[in-house]
Amino acid sequence: MNPIINKTRIFFVLIAILSGCNGDDPARDTGSKDRTPMLIHWVDNIIVPGYNNFQTKMEVMVLKGDEFTESPNQQSLTAFRQAWVDAYVEWQKVEMFEFGPADKYTLRNFFNIYPANVQAIHQNIVDPNADLDVAAAYSTQGFPALDYLINGVAETDEGIIAFYSTASESGSRIQYLKQLTSRMETLLNNVVLEWSNYRESFIGKTGLDLNSSTGIVVNAYVLYYERYIRSGKFGIPSGALTTTGGTQYPDKVEAFYKKDISLTLARTAHQAAIDFFNGEGVTTTEEGPSLKSYLDALEAKDGTTGTLLSQIINDQFAAVNNKLSQLSENLHEQVSTNNNGVKDVFAEMQKATRILKVDMTSAMSITITYTDNDGD
Amino acid sequence: MKAYLQKTTSPAPLALFRMALGMMLFLSIVRFWTKGWIHELYIEPNYHFPFYGFQFVRPLGEFTYVIFIICAVAALMVALGWFYRASIITLFLSFTYIELIDKSTYLNHYYFISMICLLMIFLPAHAYFSMDAHRNRDLNSQSIPLWCIDSVKLFVCMIYIFAGLAKINTDWLLHAQPLRIWLPAKNDMPFIGFLFNYTSTAYVFSWAGCIYDLTIPFLLLNNNTRWWAFGVVVVFHLLTAMLFPIGMFPYIMIVTASIFFPVAFHEKMSARIALWLHLPKRLLQATNHYTFNQTTFKFLAIGFFIFFTVQVALPFRYLFYPGELFWTEQGYRFSWRVMLMEKSGYAQFTVTDHTGKKITVDNNEFLTPLQQKMMATQPDMILQYAHMLRDYYEKLGYRNPSVFVDSYVAVNGRLGKALVDPKTDLAKKDDSLLHKSWILPFNEKIAGF
Repeated sequence: MNPIINKTRIFFVLIAILSGCNGDDPARDTGSKDRTPMLIHWVDNIIVPGYNNFQTKMEVMVLKGDEFTESPNQQSLTAFRQAWVDAYVEWQKVEMFEFGPADKYTLRNFFNIYPANVQAIHQNIVDPNADLDVAAAYSTQGFPALDYLINGVAETDEGIIAFYSTASESGSRIQYLKQLTSRMETLLNNVVLEWSNYRESFIGKTGLDLNSSTGIVVNAYVLYYERYIRSGKFGIPSGALTTTGGTQYPDKVEAFYKKDISLTLARTAHQAAIDFFNGEGVTTTEEGPSLKSYLDALEAKDGTTGTLLSQIINDQFAAVNNKLSQLSENLHEQVSTNNNGVKDVFAEMQKATRILKVDMTSAMSITITYTDNDGD
Repeated sequence: MKAYLQKTTSPAPLALFRMALGMMLFLSIVRFWTKGWIHELYIEPNYHFPFYGFQFVRPLGEFTYVIFIICAVAALMVALGWFYRASIITLFLSFTYIELIDKSTYLNHYYFISMICLLMIFLPAHAYFSMDAHRNRDLNSQSIPLWCIDSVKLFVCMIYIFAGLAKINTDWLLHAQPLRIWLPAKNDMPFIGFLFNYTSTAYVFSWAGCIYDLTIPFLLLNNNTRWWAFGVVVVFHLLTAMLFPIGMFPYIMIVTASIFFPVAFHEKMSARIALWLHLPKRLLQATNHYTFNQTTFKFLAIGFFIFFTVQVALPFRYLFYPGELFWTEQGYRFSWRVMLMEKSGYAQFTVTDHTGKKITVDNNEFLTPLQQKMMATQPDMILQYAHMLRDYYEKLGYRNPSVFVDSYVAVNGRLGKALVDPKTDLAKKDDSLLHKSWILPFNEKIAGF
């Protein structure tokens, strides 16, 4: 027999055997491995509605801020404060979307770099031409700076009101407050506006390689979880990451001056990360195509027990939530008095980070910390 | 054997291979440069991962560009066959130097190029259709010893066969890993993308890839199957080029496979190229027979024997190490183990000293994304990095610092687990080629070659 025909025939027989007899059902619905519906769901039902909700809170905050600066009194201060808390909490639901438009404007840098640099804030107040776009100015603006300005400039509310009304520098202080809030509103509006242009290309880049939408989202998501939830909110204040002789840094908690909302902020951020993983819609609260459903479609699971990877991830999120529920609302106090609880949260988040960063991305064939290069 | 060594053949295949190799390398270097990788990989990083035994190879800063220029010029000169011996030696040395600077850029096909250049130093690839042969009519030959071309073919065959043998393992054949993970990532490709949603496709590709590697050398050697086999080579490598980010490698392998074509093909091609470039007719009219004198030949025989023995032995060196090869990677490089693993990892280092100082290291401060990615899954690089951190923090005032790593690595769809014992102070462990006892056991079996 002609050797070519022989080999070709063997080859095709092999293909026939393999495609016919392997254990999976070839007729299975493969639509869930399609990334386009996931991208559409992310934009239309999570990211954009999330920003819209935040925008609403932001508008109220700016309004209340303006009312406070027009007539600084107990009532306007309380209202401004509440609006600031509401907006800060809402921000925790969108901070993770630091890709595309938010990445272009580096929104996080201008909204939530803490601890606030008090000295630099005072310098900026007396210098109305201070450049707020440079890296050194990140910690002089956004929510942390407002935290200082409406909660931390004096011991009492009377003192704070006086800071903006009777003190000699009150004019420039009011000016700075207004500058900060309107700047935040402008930046946010830019990002939201940009999303309407960016949507099309976001949905179109369906790959998983460099610059693909799923790739940048997962990278941003994992980075956010590791660096801004795990490290920023718990690792750094508790001294779990860096310490000299076991010292903690309770003054590095989020919302340090308001104090009694730091756990709420952290829990909101963590829950938002969980909801995003599960694809829970912001307005509908129904689950749509998500990282979870995609991992399930890939049949990512623990080979020995058969547990789905998405289940393992949700279990680990639950373990974190369990530790979070044991903390007091005031993380500053918690770190100072019972730091072990904070370290426990950090330890569980560390486990979640590893699973997200290695197991999830590996199963999805997404390269973390992208670099454009050849492989083999 | 003696009769075989006396056999001669046309110099055309080797000469064309020389031109193709030179041109491909030149293009590769231009591509590398234009992508900004020289800066990104060799100048930007503050730290590098030298190979064990080659620690003397240091990054050269801005001078790295000069090395690349030297390498590119040498590649062009090899293509032209101009001062061939000097240029192929320069090409080998400059290319190999670049590759030795940093382990994180190791690719099997760079190693292939280094080794093929080493081989080519000793072959008379300039004895025909070259500037040297044009300027020195005594060199211009109509025949060279057959073993010269056969040694290149032998090397290429070895690569395919080792690559094929490496695929005979349970992950590849029975679980279709890692293709089962990689292919769905390409399900948005036009026309064929939908196929990658089926696990069956991963199985077909795995088996076909294995059979391809193991049989293609023989099909290329056989007169009856050669053209058909070359078609398969082209399809196979173009498919891999579309599916995976492997740069120039597919094209280099396609061009390399042409060395298996019959002499007549190469002579016809030579004539056509000469005509096309309006080269003088006498360039291809040779009368001499290229031969080696007795002493040179003896040295060459010994050298080639050592070269091929080492090449055959290296892929088996992993047998001397305990543990799972895919996990420890002890003996993994230089073995033509290509595209066998979806391996990713996480390594968080903590530096402490006895005065109570402690810091969890942000790897971004020290390593590039590529270095971090490579380091996190390879124990020898984890150790090198731990030593960098030890030295760095010692200078910062840490007293006799200890370095620990929280590592987490996943291989081929398994859940991740710790790669390195988190209680081992890596600052106190020396690097060597001996087994690294602080690598935790894999506790699973990947059976196979």
